[in-house]
Amino acid sequence: MTSLIGYYTTKFGELWDKSLFDLAEEAIDGVLKATNLENKQIDAVFFGNMLAGVLGNNLHSTSKLAEILKINVPIFRTEAACASGGTAFNLAKTYLDSNSNKNVLVIGAEKMTDYSPEEVITALSAAASGEEQEAGLTFSGLYAMMANFYLEKYHYTEKNLAYVSVKNHYHGSLNDKAQFRRKITVEDVLKSAYVSYPLKVLDSSPISDGASAVVLTNNHDMIKKQKYSTAVLASEVITDTISLKSRKQIDEILATKIASDKAFKMAKIKRSDINVAELHDCFSIAEILAMEDLGFWKKGTGGQKITEESTTYGNGGNLIVNSSGGLKASGHPVGATGIKQIGEIFLQLTGQANNRQVKNAKYGLAHNVGGSGGTAVVTILSS
Amino acid sequence: MISPVKIWRRQKDIRKILGKKGKIFLWTKIFTPGTGFKKYAPYPVVLVELENNEKVYGQLVDQEQKDLKIGTKVISVLRKVRTASVDGVIAYGIKFKPLK
Repeated sequence: MTSLIGYYTTKFGELWDKSLFDLAEEAIDGVLKATNLENKQIDAVFFGNMLAGVLGNNLHSTSKLAEILKINVPIFRTEAACASGGTAFNLAKTYLDSNSNKNVLVIGAEKMTDYSPEEVITALSAAASGEEQEAGLTFSGLYAMMANFYLEKYHYTEKNLAYVSVKNHYHGSLNDKAQFRRKITVEDVLKSAYVSYPLKVLDSSPISDGASAVVLTNNHDMIKKQKYSTAVLASEVITDTISLKSRKQIDEILATKIASDKAFKMAKIKRSDINVAELHDCFSIAEILAMEDLGFWKKGTGGQKITEESTTYGNGGNLIVNSSGGLKASGHPVGATGIKQIGEIFLQLTGQANNRQVKNAKYGLAHNVGGSGGTAVVTILSS
Repeated sequence: MISPVKIWRRQKDIRKILGKKGKIFLWTKIFTPGTGFKKYAPYPVVLVELENNEKVYGQLVDQEQKDLKIGTKVISVLRKVRTASVDGVIAYGIKFKPLK
């Protein structure tokens, strides 16, 4: 069994005084300190990053990490758009499944705010199909198409979507590493400017810098030495068509459904066992679709369910969603996001989530999506 | 990156889907575009289901607000799709206009 024994994340935000590798180094130092590990005890490294090649002309980042760590071990970089972090974690777990008594470092990092919004939007669009790019579609545009379809099919309005951001901003106000610490109202969301109709600025995750890291091990002596550890019950990656137009259903992310079914089967637990979940709310509509596709809510009911606020911290619900603030308020440095999500679940399951600690959290789920649903990663941890 | 060769290769396929009729299947309006599309913003983008069931993306031009809904009948036309590249090659592609 693989265990997650430590987590560290930098603050997320506009971190102009730090480079991509300054951020990665801070995350590495932080997680090694948290686990009392020395560099030489790391047997392999997996690095989730999407944009360094496109925006920063930085490739071969694996070798740069070797320079920072001053070790000579296998280091791999994974790229699956916004699911780059989740896939790095999955490969690290897979590596441990075939190598005994090893410690593996997983890092996710992204540097986005050095560039203009147009440049970042274009770079992110590299993860859409050529035809989508040529039509001038952006990622907010693709999710906006899904949102329009969902709102029309199930008779909801933009107000239903707004509740996702209100909840996640409230959670962000409780997280000192979050990019946005400000609470917002439904009215604030509805008054904000359109990004891609019907999605507005406050329906959308921001452009962010940040790095997050975890350590996984299957060394039993190492697990025993640690103050905190959680078991990795399942990590499943599923891919689907890159193009939204090639999907049979527009109001669901099929990759999420398949990954979730496989993960719950592997973990041998029920949906109702999950106490905390970090979902991929790149846009408000995405959290609603995810709640349905993961099997927490029935298809088509999410627009209503979200207004009941049962997934908000402190409301007594059985499942608290995006206690970190989600991508919306915590920030979305794309390569780091998948690791931060898993890290937040680790904090919750080990009682380290401070003023947003969900009582008696035993099982947690992280859900990371690449593109408009071309990749989905579902990870389940237990305390 | 956009290269003249890439534009040339793509344009060989465009003629096959010119003048085709269909209905809007998905739509949005982009207010914050990427590089090369800024001067067109805000612009509507639609996914059209053609009469042969093929689905094609394109911007919607010569339109009014009332046309932006699922089911509106449209026809594909040839238009410039983005600001010319540094090589000066103009990229033409498919856009749609409402069928009156």
